[in-house]
Amino acid sequence: MGAAPALVTPDNQADWHSEAELMRQVAAGDTGGLETLYDRYHAMAYALALRITTETGLAEDVVQDSFLGVWRNAARYAEPKGSVRGWLLAIVRHRAIDAIRRQRIGVALGDTTDDTLPASLTIPDIWPEVAGRLDAEQVRQALTALPPAQREVIELAYFDGLTQREIATHTNAPLGTVKSRMRLGLVALRQQLVGDTDGRADVPALGVAASAGKKGLV
Amino acid sequence: MALTCDRVRELASGFVLGALEPDEMAAVRHHVDHCRKPHQELAELGGILPYLAVAPEPVEPPAWLRGSVIAAVKADFQARRPDEHRVVERVAATATTSAPSVLPDATVISLEGVRRSRSSRAVTWITRIAAAVAVVALAGYAFAIQSDLNKAKQDQSHLAAVLNVIGQPDTIKVSLTDNEGKGANGFVALRPNGHVIVNLNGLAVTHGDETYMVWLTGANNVPVKVGAFTVGDDGKGWVEVENVSTSASMWISVCREPNSNATKPTGPTILSGTISL
Repeated sequence: MGAAPALVTPDNQADWHSEAELMRQVAAGDTGGLETLYDRYHAMAYALALRITTETGLAEDVVQDSFLGVWRNAARYAEPKGSVRGWLLAIVRHRAIDAIRRQRIGVALGDTTDDTLPASLTIPDIWPEVAGRLDAEQVRQALTALPPAQREVIELAYFDGLTQREIATHTNAPLGTVKSRMRLGLVALRQQLVGDTDGRADVPALGVAASAGKKGLV
Repeated sequence: MALTCDRVRELASGFVLGALEPDEMAAVRHHVDHCRKPHQELAELGGILPYLAVAPEPVEPPAWLRGSVIAAVKADFQARRPDEHRVVERVAATATTSAPSVLPDATVISLEGVRRSRSSRAVTWITRIAAAVAVVALAGYAFAIQSDLNKAKQDQSHLAAVLNVIGQPDTIKVSLTDNEGKGANGFVALRPNGHVIVNLNGLAVTHGDETYMVWLTGANNVPVKVGAFTVGDDGKGWVEVENVSTSASMWISVCREPNSNATKPTGPTILSGTISL
């Protein structure tokens, strides 16, 4: 494997909007627009697919399937709900998790007709304002800084597609502990990446979790 | 399963990571879709996910994947726009048939010019030459369009075959290694029933009797010729064969041979790879 390609991604609001224009072109049937998207994000998409599937052949299939999914569903991309990069990578993750789950239960991979969007796509991305100052290295550092038990449950859920119940079995930990670690880990990750929740009154659950985290519960 | 807002907040972390049981996932979705209160905790935690997605170090996929993705998209585009596709074919067909009809008309016009008068003969000859040039140009144009159309149909046929084979769950797909470092790339798709497709790009043009040959070497270490082809300006090569004998592990190589008589690999190995069934 050669040197890792540099991350080329829009890092400010203006570029983000120009990407939305690119998606409009793709939705209108402009294959050139999709080529631009591929050239911009293929290395990130492939890395994520490879991290999840751990097989090059399966990762290649996932990437192809994902870009085809972007092509077919470009009209469903909603700018206020997040960046194109986030949308694409959510599709890649969704397809990759689907692929390994099918593999686990012995169901053959075929043409993916499931156009159900993953949960994250239905959640507004409220972080565009901080996207410009976050890079992949910071995310990796933030993950590394988590207590190992919290990092493990997040990685098992995000990259291995395990449910909380499956993680409990896998780690031999009580289900309640897994849930706590997951919540604490996500809150800590958010604090690492964008600072505190600024005392938002409308996130009581996060406030409780953050407090518990500061007491050293893992 | 009806959930309270407090219960949704408790489930938020598992929900955004997709780590709840299916019934819980559906219940949270249903609650959020119908609840009048904002569930900011989902956005707060869910906003982390796009950043987790970029945590893995970027990895460059095989070069052929770009062509495969774009080809699949274009095939999808064609499949979804049959009317536009038919228009293209109609235009091409019209261009092909128009050349013969031009020839008699142009000839008649020029002969009439000859009969008019000696003073107009020079003009007539110019007209005849121009008509002849036009006929040749139109015929050439029609031929070029027909060639492009045939090539496009061939590419489309190859693409359909690739998509069909790759779409099978038991297909093994292997990227081939460019042994000469000159930009050749491609892949082999092999099904356990012996259906093989080899799709190659970036090959050097063949001259004279030169031929590319694809060889499969199995457990008995004896290379078996799978197919042969020549390469034009587009640098593409293609082999599709049914009922090839397979073994658990095989070595595939693409060699450039001086002629088509080779019974074993003798020329340089341009691309190669290992197939494990």
